Amino acid sequence: MASTTALSPVKSESALWNALRLVPGVLLLAAIGYAGKILERFLNTYAKAHHWTFPNIEYVLWAILIGLAIANTVGVPKLFQTGIATYEFWLKLGIVLLGARFVLADVLKLGGISLALVVIEITLSLALMTFLGRLFKLKPKLTTLLAIGSSICGVSAIIAAKGAIDADDEDSSFAIAAILALGALALFTFPAIAHGLHMNDVSYGLWAGLGVDNTAEATAAGALYSDAAGKVAVLAKTARNAMIGFVVLAYAIYWAGRGQAEAVTNKAASLWKKFPKFVLGFLLMSLLVGFHAFSKAQIGSLGNLSKWAFLLTFAGVGLRTNFRDMSKQGLRPFIVGALGEVLIACLTLGLVVGANRIWGL
Amino acid sequence: MSTDTSSNTPLSKGGSLSLDTWAVIVAVVLALAVRFGILKNVPW
Repeated sequence: MASTTALSPVKSESALWNALRLVPGVLLLAAIGYAGKILERFLNTYAKAHHWTFPNIEYVLWAILIGLAIANTVGVPKLFQTGIATYEFWLKLGIVLLGARFVLADVLKLGGISLALVVIEITLSLALMTFLGRLFKLKPKLTTLLAIGSSICGVSAIIAAKGAIDADDEDSSFAIAAILALGALALFTFPAIAHGLHMNDVSYGLWAGLGVDNTAEATAAGALYSDAAGKVAVLAKTARNAMIGFVVLAYAIYWAGRGQAEAVTNKAASLWKKFPKFVLGFLLMSLLVGFHAFSKAQIGSLGNLSKWAFLLTFAGVGLRTNFRDMSKQGLRPFIVGALGEVLIACLTLGLVVGANRIWGL
Repeated sequence: MSTDTSSNTPLSKGGSLSLDTWAVIVAVVLALAVRFGILKNVPW
């Protein structure tokens, strides 16, 4: 009893301290995101007032660019780093809230198409990355991590797989660096290519969701094109994320069979542990809207809350992208990743064009 | 994208709940606040 009462204040103090440590970084995310929003509005108004022909640059890009500029020039002081790491929390919160902007029928239709394309994309991507890894003589587990990262969902998939297949820290940081660098490139190349091809919002959103690896970058790449494309990109990426448990489990069994990872004793528990719970939250929101739990104005409010959460995410995407750190990770995994990503981007573009012809997206 | 192992933030370390679960809980709380009029007309 005495020990419980003695421990409680310590525990609550550390929880409070942990929460306080987040504040500077979260404030920085909010400040950068909001600066991006102000810049977008200011430049549009200024260009209009002076009759300039100025392309509409979305707040998404400004927030990322400001973050990139800070991270790659003055750097991010340690004080802010813990709070900045919450960008992933804001991303997931934004995705769950975005579920309110989807009618369940849309989720089922687009989600069904996405899921069919995701299965094809994952199968082909895994085969392609495994082939490239062998061709370039990468370590087998590094190849596995790159294959999982590029076929499903970037950094978190790599982290999840690292534990499941007992991969080295060095291999996983190689794979993460390659996926992040390529995600940063995709932010600029995907919208430019799509504009060149005059893709519609749904097709582009599907392509971004299938072709860009990390969820934050996929969301940003979609939003950079249009609001509608951003929504579809999130839906397609969410369908892709839902597959993480199955692929990681399959690799865990493969490596355990070779005696190089712990055996998987409870497959169902392992699947549930790896399953991204925010996918369920997204579906729940969509379901509630389907049952008319919210009025039109309330759905608008939930959509705006989702945008605010994404605003912090996009600032975080820029702030945690440090090109100097990435260049230290070596060239070979990056080349394999880049080759794979270009091929996967072409492949997913082909899949989306095909789906557009079949289902008329 | 995420799993229990996906983040090093104090938020995910703060208990047995994963970052994903926290995101769902906060989203549900916000949705309830909007539904019952505690949060009205959130601007953008």
